[in-house]
Amino acid sequence: MNALLANARWEARRLLRSQRVFLLLIPPVAGPVGSALALLYFHVSSHPIALMLGLFVLGGLGALVTVDLCALTLGEELAVRAHLALFPLPQHRHEILLGRVAVVLLGSLGAFALGAALTWGTVDLLVPVSAVPGPTLLDPFHLFLGISCLLLFLGGVTLLSSVLVRTASGALVAGVLAGVVVASAGLYLALLHELTLAFPLVLLAVWGVSLAWAVHTYSTLES
Amino acid sequence: MGDGPPLELRGVCKAYGPVRALDQVSFSLRSGEAVGYLGPNGAGKTTTLKLIAGLSRPGEGEVRVAGQDPSRDRRSALAHAGILIESPGVLPYMTGDDLLEYSARVKRVPLREIGVQQARVARELGVEGVLSRPLGGLSTGNLRRMLIASALMGDPELLVLDEPTLGLDPAARTELRALLRGKLREGRTLLMSTHLLEDVEAVCSRVLFLRNGKLLGDQSLPSGEGADGKGSGRAHLRLLRPVPEGQLQALVRDLGSLKEQAPRHLLVLYEGGEEKLAQIIAVLVQNGISLVQVGPGGSGLEERYLATVGREEDP
Repeated sequence: MNALLANARWEARRLLRSQRVFLLLIPPVAGPVGSALALLYFHVSSHPIALMLGLFVLGGLGALVTVDLCALTLGEELAVRAHLALFPLPQHRHEILLGRVAVVLLGSLGAFALGAALTWGTVDLLVPVSAVPGPTLLDPFHLFLGISCLLLFLGGVTLLSSVLVRTASGALVAGVLAGVVVASAGLYLALLHELTLAFPLVLLAVWGVSLAWAVHTYSTLES
Repeated sequence: MGDGPPLELRGVCKAYGPVRALDQVSFSLRSGEAVGYLGPNGAGKTTTLKLIAGLSRPGEGEVRVAGQDPSRDRRSALAHAGILIESPGVLPYMTGDDLLEYSARVKRVPLREIGVQQARVARELGVEGVLSRPLGGLSTGNLRRMLIASALMGDPELLVLDEPTLGLDPAARTELRALLRGKLREGRTLLMSTHLLEDVEAVCSRVLFLRNGKLLGDQSLPSGEGADGKGSGRAHLRLLRPVPEGQLQALVRDLGSLKEQAPRHLLVLYEGGEEKLAQIIAVLVQNGISLVQVGPGGSGLEERYLATVGREEDP
């Protein structure tokens, strides 16, 4: 627990020192602003559709922030061999990984949740709830939960990639590609009206597997 | 510290594919001992240190740090060890303060002692003025010292240092050697891998020679040889003019032996303390040999190294 907390603290300090902490401001700031611009530009009059559009904008931003932070968490250290100063310390490597990842994943999800709340408020301001409800592909609250699962999935896949390829840039590419593929698959299923609870559950399962795989690989790195 | 010697390797083998990096390496360190670990590039020194740090596992044999296997029971094995391996990279925006604090927290230094210990270790290493600067902006020497400071956090009983003086200027090297000698006086144990023989001579009392993954020698290094007026001694003589080695040897054969290291440079080996050295010098002078310099002959580590390990290009 001690090592886990020390690593979480290190990661938080690292976000501050590298100024990457400002990336976490993107969803709560750019999400509502981007959504508002989109709503005004498209003259959206349906409240649920407006919410859905806002969450899509926010989800895209949140995904990029998650992928970026997760790629840098271990990928940067492995690329510059900074891990050689950390591995000989009396701690298990899973404590290093989990302590770090907890901060970035919780930070990304927290930023997304805050962004979603602000976007919801923005939509309420711009599109009256009493406006004519249009047909929606997805329930906004379900979409919020689904995007949260997508962020976890992307975090896991990016993290695993960073341990496997040992660079942040390689992991970033892998994370973006995974995001595009999953978002496309989700949209396709939604258009077919076959997007069910199974989809986010599969994303969660993949997140769990990739996290476990990343822990195993990281724990057995030899140099 | 736990049971057993601070560090012990028994029949350790490690292979990377077809390359046998370590082959049946066995040695142990007694508490308070300083051991130099020497060998040419690719001898297997860093591989050994990685096994000690638990960064990799031996194919065969056992590594024990404080009686524990560092690849399995990391916490107990490495709780009292300070290890610096290779030249780790750093995250350029993090500061020395961050690094030392992290190291202290992981080593479970009590919270109220972290600041005090941080300041003390930084002062010992001479980096107190750059603690708050980003690591990426530090000079090579300061960065090295900061990494050593990080290893020293938690007052470790066992120090395992890979090329500790790499990139340090002469003054900083001297200071670091003095610091390490101080740690040894406090009862710490040291394993130091380096290419700089003078560092080993200045700090270590024992030396291990490694080549092609095999331990070729385990020798003691007498410190201050001959200085106490007893035992064997070595001195370096510089002559005004070259004289054939055979002629010189004939003059002093009852008192000691001479080796020509280079034209006009002799290494004198003698038994019986400094009186014998004085007699050798007197004999040479009486026989018309002009001496322009007499100095310490060192521990002969370089000769031992070359005799045991050979030159880099030797097969």
